[in-house]
Amino acid sequence: MSWNFETANFSVRLPVVDQDGPQLFELLKNQNAAAHIPRLAQTVDAQALDELRRMTMRFDSREAAFWLVEGRFDKKIFARIGIQHINWMMLNAQLVWELDDELTDEGVLEFVPQLLEYVFAALKLHRIEMRLRPQQERHERLLTWLGFAKEGCLPAQLEFEGESVDLEVWSLLNPTPLQDLE
Amino acid sequence: MKFTPELTFDGGLVRPLTADDVDNLFEIYQHPEIPGQRVIENREHLQRMIDLSVQMAATQRGMMWLLEVNGESQGLVSIYDWQPSLLRATLRVDGLPTLKDAYRAAAMNACMKFMADKYHLRNFAYQWVDGQQDSLKAVIESVGFKPAAVLRDAWRTGDTSFANVVQYHCVLDRAKPVPRKLGDDDELGQNISANGVTGRGSIGGDA
Repeated sequence: MSWNFETANFSVRLPVVDQDGPQLFELLKNQNAAAHIPRLAQTVDAQALDELRRMTMRFDSREAAFWLVEGRFDKKIFARIGIQHINWMMLNAQLVWELDDELTDEGVLEFVPQLLEYVFAALKLHRIEMRLRPQQERHERLLTWLGFAKEGCLPAQLEFEGESVDLEVWSLLNPTPLQDLE
Repeated sequence: MKFTPELTFDGGLVRPLTADDVDNLFEIYQHPEIPGQRVIENREHLQRMIDLSVQMAATQRGMMWLLEVNGESQGLVSIYDWQPSLLRATLRVDGLPTLKDAYRAAAMNACMKFMADKYHLRNFAYQWVDGQQDSLKAVIESVGFKPAAVLRDAWRTGDTSFANVVQYHCVLDRAKPVPRKLGDDDELGQNISANGVTGRGSIGGDA
């Protein structure tokens, strides 16, 4: 499998800087998409271009990798998903996603397992974790279905809109022992 | 400008590293506390570490103190993963086998109090790695830390082996600093010569 792949309904691919700006802005201007992280929604389309450039730089420096999830038929961007803070020594990374309101849970489960399989098999990472605000029912449900386990809650990790925010930690370990990976 | 202060506590002190501390550090790192940590063999690495300790403190990325008890080097206290704008950092102590728990706790307390008073840090983390001495948990908790999460296989101990990490946090009940305009503060955060902040007292006390 290469970095890009397709499922029945989605094309999961690395972003293209001079092409994906408008569609990415449509996704990231929705506060719901980033409320679990949490992060403010984008307000002007130039922010999406900046974000695309940042994604490219972080990918080039092997620090992160982001994919856009595009409908195979309507070409709409339904999600951005990525791994960041990759620690190549400890073999772990953080998973992050922003999901469009129209993307169903079944849709998420159509492409995330394949992406995680790639991260474990091709990148040989051992541990993938996600950090998110507590009481994010949809995201917790998805993480549970994907096999993630809740490990605890780290207090006062950041400030958002004047409030101190705790972050839950969920993780998934590579089912294949490191010594058995090719 | 001085970045790392000497802080005293009952029975001992922590002080900034100097170029003469290579032998002290070499001895400390002959007794690695963390699973998978290798014994250091090259003293040049330690000289580099001393240089980095100054650079890290100057740029608010970390701070390192040598821990002395009765005038004898017994450990190293490190602040790392320092997030100045998020007012949090992670703490670690590497001690010789002779370092008593009471001094370890007192040193942690002094360093945390300094970082809280001077830099307004209010959230400290400590990572206990599975395989470290179990008694360290009681020391960490005596300083005010509480376990927040068990991070599975978050620490790599060898080519194909991993250990769980218990992440502790100590969140201080202190008011956050009120932002001011640049120039309103004539005591720059990095310049500890500008006032008399020390590590004496409890981290739970008033700033």
